[in-house]
Amino acid sequence: MTRVIVVTSGKGGVGKTTSSASFASGLALRGFKTAVIDFDVGLRNLDLIMGCERRVVYDFVNVISGDANLHQALIKDRHCENLFVLPASQTRDKDALTEEGVEKVLNDLKHMGFDYVICDSPAGIEHGAIMALTFADEAIVVTNPEVSSIRDSDRILGILQSKSRRARDGQEPVKEHLLITRYSAKRVDEGEMLSYKDVQELLRVPLIGVIPESESVLQASNSGTPVIHTKDEDAADAYQDVVARFLGEERELRFVNFEKPGLFKRLFGG
Amino acid sequence: MSKPIEFKTGTLSAMSAIIRELDNVRLADTMHTMLGGLGEFFAGEATVIDLTQLTKAPERADWAGLLSLLRRYGLQPIAVRQAPEHLVESARKAGLAILSADAGRMSAERPVAAPTAPAPVAPAPEPAQASLDMPAPPTGTATMIIERPLRSGQQIYARGSDVVILGGVSNGAEIIADGSIHCYGPLRGRALAGAQGHTAARIITTCFAPELVSIAGVYRTFERGIAANLAGKPAHAVLRANAAGQQTLNIETLQLD
Repeated sequence: MTRVIVVTSGKGGVGKTTSSASFASGLALRGFKTAVIDFDVGLRNLDLIMGCERRVVYDFVNVISGDANLHQALIKDRHCENLFVLPASQTRDKDALTEEGVEKVLNDLKHMGFDYVICDSPAGIEHGAIMALTFADEAIVVTNPEVSSIRDSDRILGILQSKSRRARDGQEPVKEHLLITRYSAKRVDEGEMLSYKDVQELLRVPLIGVIPESESVLQASNSGTPVIHTKDEDAADAYQDVVARFLGEERELRFVNFEKPGLFKRLFGG
Repeated sequence: MSKPIEFKTGTLSAMSAIIRELDNVRLADTMHTMLGGLGEFFAGEATVIDLTQLTKAPERADWAGLLSLLRRYGLQPIAVRQAPEHLVESARKAGLAILSADAGRMSAERPVAAPTAPAPVAPAPEPAQASLDMPAPPTGTATMIIERPLRSGQQIYARGSDVVILGGVSNGAEIIADGSIHCYGPLRGRALAGAQGHTAARIITTCFAPELVSIAGVYRTFERGIAANLAGKPAHAVLRANAAGQQTLNIETLQLD
């Protein structure tokens, strides 16, 4: 059975595409045949973060409008065997994403034997974001530990409850996961940032992971390699934990406690 | 063959906006304070602009501005009641039906839009009329139960019944009931009980943190924060008569264990 997972947030710039790329890569690294679709028609980000922007010939909208078939448009990831990217179009009109068209592409992916389809949602609550969540079985709601991001996540959770196909058909509701990104245990310790417990308490959605704020995320994005592939890096390990928890494994939360550096570390650096 | 049009008479229940000062700037300011600055506070209810309590009739009225102000909060103005003689013509031109003072007698039970109200508590309705028009408490309808959190932007109305919420009400969400509201979990959004004027309705929550509570139209906002003895605590909101016989909204802590 193919599971469709939307990565969404409401607010922009919180790390949806970064999380989509790493989460999809993590699933593929564990042997699952995975596709990741960029729903941000008009902007295009995912192919840059996945490092396949120069291999884009056909895109999502081409497939929907019948200019190309899925086999032509899916780009094989250069890091993992089982991962395929369906990039967004930069030029087309947003309304090109029709509900029937999206449904057909997802059904075709199911027939191609994909285990997981990750839908990378655009920011906002407009058409593209609605299309990304319409067919979701599960949702990863990406939230930064700050009030406006939490409010927007709450809003998108409400929309999931009302606009998703599962909600409209009265099926079992979309399974929700909370992913907190750009978390700084140090700033939480200093009282400058909401703790993950505060965020979880406000949104009341099961927590799937906390990704620490890290410069390597930016470096990974710039180099076109999802951060999950980076060795000995907290953010990469945190994404590995997210994938493990998603697959039902028990993992303790890491990178959420701030340890004040000792004298030695302060004198000689980390 | 059926006629393409027919005319029938019917009755319509409408919201009444009792305006005591026809000054759009002041109205806008007051409504912003009263309704928490949230647009679409109402749900497109037909609204009568009631000028029976107008203190001073201005020489001319900016109807277009007033209509757009009311619409911004989700009201749909349809008529004006007891407009001063010299304003009738312009009101008619603005598309409003002209009602006389005794036309469309309305319940003063929900004086939500009384602009000269000394916020935060809306003025109590005139006692005589209140007791005359008191709607019966809602009966016979099964309690509505909501098992998921009510999220920002969502609105639920329990028509003619109580509502039980098991997942909490987020900031920016709104729960409305003709009966009482029982919230197990944080009540952070807006809660309006006794929406049809049932003054015995209550709002009960295990974690009191709302943006607004209202019972039978008597409301309170918490823009300046909630008292420390109530914030995040089990509490209920209830209307009680004060010494002067006016209904005031009391918020009291509850001991749950």
